[in-house]
Formats: sequence, structure tokens, C-alpha cells
Amino acid sequence: MTRITRRHAMAGLGAAGSVALARPNLARAASGEVNVWWSQGFYEQENKAIINAMADWEKRTGTKVNLSFMTDPDMITKLIAGMQTGDVPDLVHCVTADRFLVPRAAWNDQLEDLTDVLDTQKAELVPTAIKACRYYNAKLKKYSNYSVPIKCSTLMNNVWRPLVQEAGFSDADIPKTQDAYYDFFQTVQDKLRAKGKRIFGLGYSMATKEADSGNLFAAFLLAYGGEAVVLPDGKLNIDDPGVRKAAAKALDRLTTPYKKGYVPPGAINWGDVDNNNAFYAKQVVMTPNATISIAVAQSDKTEQYYKEMITHGRPLGNDGKPLLGVLAVSPCLIPKGAKNLDGGKALLRDFIRPESLNSYLKETRARYLPVMMKNIKEDPFWTDPADPHRPVAVQAGLIQPTIPNWMNHNPAYAQVLSEQVWIQAEANITQKNMSIDQALDEVAARMKSIFEKFQIG
Amino acid sequence: MSLARTARLSRGVTHATGAIVSIVLLIWTLLPIYNIIRVSMQAKEEVLSTSVVPLEPTLIAFQTVYNQSYWLLKSFWRQMGNSFYIGVTVALLTLTIGTLTSFVIGRMRIRSGWMLTNAALLTYTIPMSFLAIPFYSIMGKYGLTNNPIAVIAVEVTFATPYAIFIFQQYGASIPMELDEAARIDGASPPQIFFRVYLPLMAPALVAIGTYALLLSWNEYLYAFLLLSGGNVVTVPVALGKFLAGDEAPWNLLMAAAIIYAIPPLIIYYAFRRKMTGGLTMGGVKG
Repeated sequence: MTRITRRHAMAGLGAAGSVALARPNLARAASGEVNVWWSQGFYEQENKAIINAMADWEKRTGTKVNLSFMTDPDMITKLIAGMQTGDVPDLVHCVTADRFLVPRAAWNDQLEDLTDVLDTQKAELVPTAIKACRYYNAKLKKYSNYSVPIKCSTLMNNVWRPLVQEAGFSDADIPKTQDAYYDFFQTVQDKLRAKGKRIFGLGYSMATKEADSGNLFAAFLLAYGGEAVVLPDGKLNIDDPGVRKAAAKALDRLTTPYKKGYVPPGAINWGDVDNNNAFYAKQVVMTPNATISIAVAQSDKTEQYYKEMITHGRPLGNDGKPLLGVLAVSPCLIPKGAKNLDGGKALLRDFIRPESLNSYLKETRARYLPVMMKNIKEDPFWTDPADPHRPVAVQAGLIQPTIPNWMNHNPAYAQVLSEQVWIQAEANITQKNMSIDQALDEVAARMKSIFEKFQIG
Repeated sequence: MSLARTARLSRGVTHATGAIVSIVLLIWTLLPIYNIIRVSMQAKEEVLSTSVVPLEPTLIAFQTVYNQSYWLLKSFWRQMGNSFYIGVTVALLTLTIGTLTSFVIGRMRIRSGWMLTNAALLTYTIPMSFLAIPFYSIMGKYGLTNNPIAVIAVEVTFATPYAIFIFQQYGASIPMELDEAARIDGASPPQIFFRVYLPLMAPALVAIGTYALLLSWNEYLYAFLLLSGGNVVTVPVALGKFLAGDEAPWNLLMAAAIIYAIPPLIIYYAFRRKMTGGLTMGGVKG
């Protein structure tokens, strides 16, 4: 028998290493294939809708699509890793990328400019959706379109009609203006508590994580006139007296009910799903939510969907005038380094045709709104008066005045959101008994420090 | 008060304190497990109720998982198979590499072999998560993203240093005279390895094999980073998708988690005695 020596062992190891290092890159997608990463749906129909859309495109073009579903946080982590290493998909749809990925990636010149794709439907897109695709590229020192809008949403309010009625009120008693609207549910809570029911009036998300609490704060900031917190030229405007006053009012109106016991104590730990679950469990009379998903997820329960759940858009301002709302736009994007850029763009161009997008959104059970007014005008599905939720969302998101989120002016605001600077201020007020002024000072200091790193121009 | 009575009282207080602390610790430890079981036996609507026991206990969640009749569980058993494939392969590779390395260093007395052991252990000074991006880059370059081999490679990388260390320590307790006797009888190094070394290493093999399997069984970070498609991901990654939606079915999530925890529990209790012996062996080397 041949004796195996140390030299043999070393030679073997060396040879194995050489073979491994010389291995060709199998990741290179076969030509013609398009690798697509898509946000995991909230319910099965959302996944099915995109599977069907991709299958249809495969059939029409003969191009294979490799579709992978991921949760948003996982996808963003993988994309950040992929953009550093050059191993990225050819097309991405990530619902929260508009705040947690695109602003920074566009700043770092890590995304393909999709202006040519956007231009194919520019005439159809709602103006806010177009603005929401515009981000600043620090390398090229200019704003351009680094994403393409697929769907959009704005903050909605979900209310249990039976609980309102149990408190002795009817729909007509619910006030229409900002402060009175939310205060009403405190009264409902008082009435229900008097009947021995441990129910909270307000299901405010107040956790320093995920997106719901940030969406709610943005709605309140706008309600009190804080639109100019970041100026269109990307400059931070937090010291402006009007903005500071609006921020103070927003913080006060969100934290005072919590301190008074009108918001569940656990709301400071709620993930995005938890306010929905608290609402379903009838622990809260109302809860704000980013889309109409709370109702849509129950659409097969006819009694609940049509009779028991009420969807409201944002209330009027305290002066009775319509309020601005943030239109959150869920984007598609293509990272630089995509191996089949042409394939990714061709697929995206085809997917954002009005009829294609409309069909996809309807198949998802329409939790989100279209980004094209053409769909609203030509398809009665969106404005069907028999539906108690969808037309309300259309009104709030597409008819009433909206603005894009502030990271479109400066990516620094995306960091403000991911650091949950505003929500940390809420926590400081509710948990550390900090005064609103002190909390705002901390917010201003942190925001200035973040914006220092993102100088536009 | 007599001294004896004081002593009795003191003993009583000590015992009572011990009992109270034990009960608190027991509750603290078992409460999360109880909660997992409780939620898995509740209907979806009941999960958020404040009741501490299921009002209408049901096994419907387990049935749903078993039948894969919820959309996020459509590939549950396949994903379970992926977890098994990765776990078993990692265990086998770790054992193969670990035993061969420890044999070469410890029995063939390779020159400067101690440097190899120390260098391997040095990798533990860098947290696994810090190496995520470099690993992702390497696997991307070699076309291994979305391939279970990538996760296997990573897990084996992290498991082998510990395996080599334990095997070397354990191997040191096996007399060298046995090797020499075998060599005099004409045995080659492979024959010594397979016929003398491995049989005597059995307790350590069981311990490290179980350790490597559990390491990859519970892996989340690298599994989600390196695997994408629904058919290749492991159960932990698939369960993570439950939390993406607006209505997380907690009862199904807990039922799936309980089913996923059963194989490691069986393995642990089946090999518990041998595993303890193997893991403590490294610490008794004279």
C-alpha cells in the first residue's frame, strides 16, 4: 500500500484549493434570463399576481424569469451586500426601498438611472409618483430618476363601527377635523370603559422600529403645517419656527393620549403587523395604517368588510381645509452591475403599461393604489361606491393633495427615518418624561448631524 | 431562642429562599416554551386575547402545517428537507475535516501543526455576522449564491475550528502506543485512521456531529443571505416570511416552530450521554 506522507497531504490540499479558485463563475445568468427579486406579499394573492404577470411575460417574450420572494428587511440586507460585491438581480421590487434603500444607493451611484423607462409612462403617472422617483446622486451631482413607481399608498384610518355604536355614537357623530377626529375615539374609550370593556380608543403605532410609527408621525407633522421640514433644494429647515411649532404639536398630539392611557401600553413595541392584530382583536377602536390592508385582508368576511369596518382617509385640517398627505410610492429599481440590464428594463417597461399595472394591482386585491389616474378614470373597480374602503383610499391618495416623502429632497431624511429620530422623541416624552421642547432639541441636533453628511450641490 | 432552633430556622429560610429562586427560574425558563405551545393551540382570533390558557384548545395549526395548507407553508416539508440536507452535510463534512486534521496534526505530528490549530481557533475572534459580506462576495464570485452548498461551506468553516480543537484534545487521551503497535503490524496511516483512531473517537464524533448539525439547523443570517428561492431556503428563513404581512398567523408560526424543534430535541436526547462525555473531554486533558 502506498504510504501517504505529509507532502502528499499538502499537495492534495493545494490542488483542491487551486481547483476551487479556478472555478468559473456559475452565477452568470444564462443570456436571456432575468433575475427578479420581489417583496413577499402580505397575502397569497399578492404573490400569485406577480407570478402570473411574470409567467405571462415569459410566454410572450420567451425570456425566462427567475423570481424570488423575500421580506423587505431581508431583501434590503441582501441588496446592500450584493451592491458591494457586484452580485445583484436584474430587477427589484421592494415596497420599503423608497425610504430604506434607494435614497442612499442613488446617492452612492449604485443604481441604474431609469429615466428612459419612466419616460415611457410619464404622461400617465400622477405627479407625486413621478417626484417620488427623483433622488440625488452625489457622484454625478444631480437629481435623476432611480426608481419607477409601481403602486402607492397614503395613511388611512381604520375604525370598528360596532364599537363606535356600542359607545352610543353613529358614523355621523365622528368629527371631520384633525384634533376633533382623534379626540372622538378617546371619548369612545371612556364610554366603553364605563361599560366595563377594556378597550383602547386609539391604536397609534409608537415603536422605534419598522414603518408604521414613522408614517403616523409624518401625517401629524403635515397636519400641523410641517411640510417645509426639508426644503426642495435638500436643505434642512428644522429650526424654522413654523416647522418647530408643527413638530411640537404633532409630538404632543401623539404622546399625550398615550400618557393618558388612550393608546395600548404595548404600542411602543408594536411592529407593523401588531396594530393590525390589535385592531382585529378589537383591543382598539381605531388604528391608522399605511394602506387599506386591514380591511382587504378580511374581504372574504362580508359582514366585517362591508358593515363593521370603516375606512377613513386623513381628516380635514383644524381649519376645515384638506390636509396634505405623504404619498408613499413602492418602487422598482435596478442595481448597477445587473447582468441582464436590458432584460430587466424591458420587463419593467412592459410591466408598467397602464393595463398591465392595473391588472396586477387588482389581482393583488388592491391593497395599494395605482400610480396612474388613467386606471382610476377608466376602471370603475377603483371607485365602485359599493366598496366601503377602496374609493376612500383613492380619494385620500390620488385626489386629495399629496407630497412625496422628504428623502426625495435629501437622502439624509431616509437616515432620519431609519434611525427613527422622531419616534425616539416620542419615546423620550412617554418613557423618560422629557418635555416636548427638550425632545425637539434632541431631534434637531441629530437631524443636523445627519444632514451634515449629505450636502447637496 | 435556643441555638438549635436558630439553626433550624436559618436552614428553613435557606431552603425556602432556594425553593423560591428555583421556582422563579423555572417559570422564567419555561414561560416562553409554554407560550409557544399555548399560541400553537389557539385559534387565530384568540391569539391576542389576554387569557393565559387556550380557551378552546385545538390542534388545527399543527394539522395545517402538516398538510401544508397555508400559503406560506406550501413548501414546508421540502424546506425541512433542505434544513436536513444542509445540517447532515455540515455535520459529515465537519467530522471528516476535523478528524483528518486532528489526526494529521496529533498523530502524524506534522511540523508546526499547532499553528494550524491556533489559526483555526483565531477565526472565532471575529463574529460570524461580520463575515457575512465577505462570504456573500466569495459565494457570488463562485456562482454559489442561491445554492445550499454556499450555506454548507459557511457553516463548515465556522464549525471546523472547534471540531479540530475538541478532536485534538480528545485524541491526546488515546495512547500513541496503539498507533505504533498498528504500524509495527504493517498498518498504513489510513488504516490507523479508520481502524484505530476513529473507533476510539466515537464520543467526540457524536458530540461534534450534533454540535455542527444544530449550528446549521438554527442558522438564519447566512441562510437568508445566500439562499433566495422558496424551494431552496431552510425552515428558519421560511418562518421569517410569516412576519412580513399585516396579519401574522402566530398560531401557525408557533406550530411550525415546534415541529421544527422536534428533530434536534430527539437528536439531543438520543445522544445526550455521549455528547456530554465528548464535550467535556477537552477540558480534562492532563
